[in-house]
Amino acid sequence: MVLATKPHPPATIGATTRRVGVKTPDSIYEKVLVILSRYREASIAVVAIILVIYFQFGSNGEFLTSQFLSVVLRDTGRLGLIAVAEVMLMITGEIDLSVSSTFSLAPYIMVLLSIDLGVPLAIGALIGVVLGVLVGVLNGIITVRFRVPSLITTVGTLFLLQGIVVWIDDSQPIVAPVEEPFNAIFGQSLYGPSDSLFSWHAITAFTPFLWTVLAVAALALVLSRTTFGLHTIATGSNIVGAREIGVRTDRIKVYNFMIAGGFAAFAGIINTAQFSSADPQAGSPFLTLQAIAAAVIGGTSLLGGSGTAIGSLIGAFVVATLNNGLVMVGAQATVSDIYLGIAILLAMILNVQVNRLRARRRI
Amino acid sequence: MSPAVIPPLAPDAPVILEMSHISKGFGAVTALVDVSIKLRQGEVLALVGDNGAGKSTLIKILSGYHQPDTGTIVSKGKQVHFNSPRDARAIGIETVYQDLALIGDLSIYHNMFMGREYHKRVLGLKLLDNKKMRDLAEVHLKTLGISIPSVNSTVDLLSGGQRQCVAVARSIYASPTILILDEPLAALGVRESAHVLGLIQSLRQQRNVSIILIVHNYNQIFEVCDRINFLHSGEIVLDAATSETSEEELIRIVKSGLGRNAVAAESAETEPGQA
Repeated sequence: MVLATKPHPPATIGATTRRVGVKTPDSIYEKVLVILSRYREASIAVVAIILVIYFQFGSNGEFLTSQFLSVVLRDTGRLGLIAVAEVMLMITGEIDLSVSSTFSLAPYIMVLLSIDLGVPLAIGALIGVVLGVLVGVLNGIITVRFRVPSLITTVGTLFLLQGIVVWIDDSQPIVAPVEEPFNAIFGQSLYGPSDSLFSWHAITAFTPFLWTVLAVAALALVLSRTTFGLHTIATGSNIVGAREIGVRTDRIKVYNFMIAGGFAAFAGIINTAQFSSADPQAGSPFLTLQAIAAAVIGGTSLLGGSGTAIGSLIGAFVVATLNNGLVMVGAQATVSDIYLGIAILLAMILNVQVNRLRARRRI
Repeated sequence: MSPAVIPPLAPDAPVILEMSHISKGFGAVTALVDVSIKLRQGEVLALVGDNGAGKSTLIKILSGYHQPDTGTIVSKGKQVHFNSPRDARAIGIETVYQDLALIGDLSIYHNMFMGREYHKRVLGLKLLDNKKMRDLAEVHLKTLGISIPSVNSTVDLLSGGQRQCVAVARSIYASPTILILDEPLAALGVRESAHVLGLIQSLRQQRNVSIILIVHNYNQIFEVCDRINFLHSGEIVLDAATSETSEEELIRIVKSGLGRNAVAAESAETEPGQA
């Protein structure tokens, strides 16, 4: 793009009737950026809709079928749940790369408890989530107390936990028991071609996605309507200033690590319920990176201070749509990564440009 | 601006804050050595000294941001201990830091109520009462005569002067008993400077808030302050009422880096006859 490389003329003061202080955007490029910075979710939603239309026509109407959508929404749900947890953490200026091993560990423990000790899945799931939260505490304490950057801390816990879950049972996937209503509530196998739209199975096939929507709604509310959300933004936006005014920034960070861990565990449990299998390799670091990409595509800053929960869900939908849709229109499965990579790069460029624009509007 | 008539501080005004024998080091660096300051009800105290003299460290101890290595803080006759700025704010000590401590990504009204948010119950959930905070912030800024585009705009869209005004407005919102201003005029133009100075003068006139002011411009000190504490290399070298000292004396102390008596003795020796 020529426009992006061209240096913008400095703001002139007093040359026109323009008010001193606020620089009004002049080029179309800047105007677009201003709109994007104001309605981040809306802009990514437009991208999502364009993708859906493209794949719907490209696949001769196969995309918007219940069966295919249930695949896309399953992936959206799994990715979205981790993405939205990362959003909170990324707003504080930290990141958690260990979520994929929590994603594997929590359901593995749940299933082992069920098989070896007869613990009901619901109780096992609760224990798994608590475990995920404790992983968050560990990540948080190491990061804020010992001042290890979270990027490093969580790479450490990533390998540690992945090592543990593989070691427990020699890397063996275990068939998960099915218990009702647990599986109906937390995830059933996919929508089948023979299912009628309003059958019990058809509805429960979508529950994992609904859980994600619920989680996203909850975190969106927390972020914009609670003191905790406000202090989370403050911590990431200006950590020294936040401390000076009395925000407990360390505590806020640890709480957000706990949320990330708990959500990752929950996502893993839903995944296991859906596939009736606990695989020690279920969560690869690739999953974490896709979730982070979804968050960034959705408009969350990698620098901390701003982000949106709803955006991350739409971002997850875009990533899941790209992954599945490209295969559907006949692209090789391997090619989809190329498109995903391009999408992430474009999103990052946009993200940085929007932030720079905000910065330039300062005096 | 017509100078307001400021009655002198009542001689029997009670001491409301006493920091005694405060020392503070950061690793190998010693920032403060046995510093004691006293602040009386309604007094405006200027804290002056060169860069690195320890002014900011001292006020960050009072604001709860740093904890002293040794020394005590007594407020209204009671010894207090601040673990965080929350504790200091809770007993009415508000601070405008040099960096203003504003959150660029948040709106003006959220910044205004940071740490003392208003809530409302919605379906049993404790949610922010944004409307109330927005309205109160608007009224408060209007009362102080501070003009900003809208309390909804984020702070990073404001000019340096507007930010400074918002930070000062936030600090006096909850009617503090002690107000600490660390270079409140640093980023201000002439007109905005006069506005903030006017604000300080009107607070001083009412004499119900005590102010610690860090400024570099000695003119302004004599205009708005009752007393001066001179900090040099982590020690107080001068403590005098503004009426008992002069700009020239301050400059002599800055240049020599010695206490008042030492400077007086020195100038008596070398330059007799020169005032």
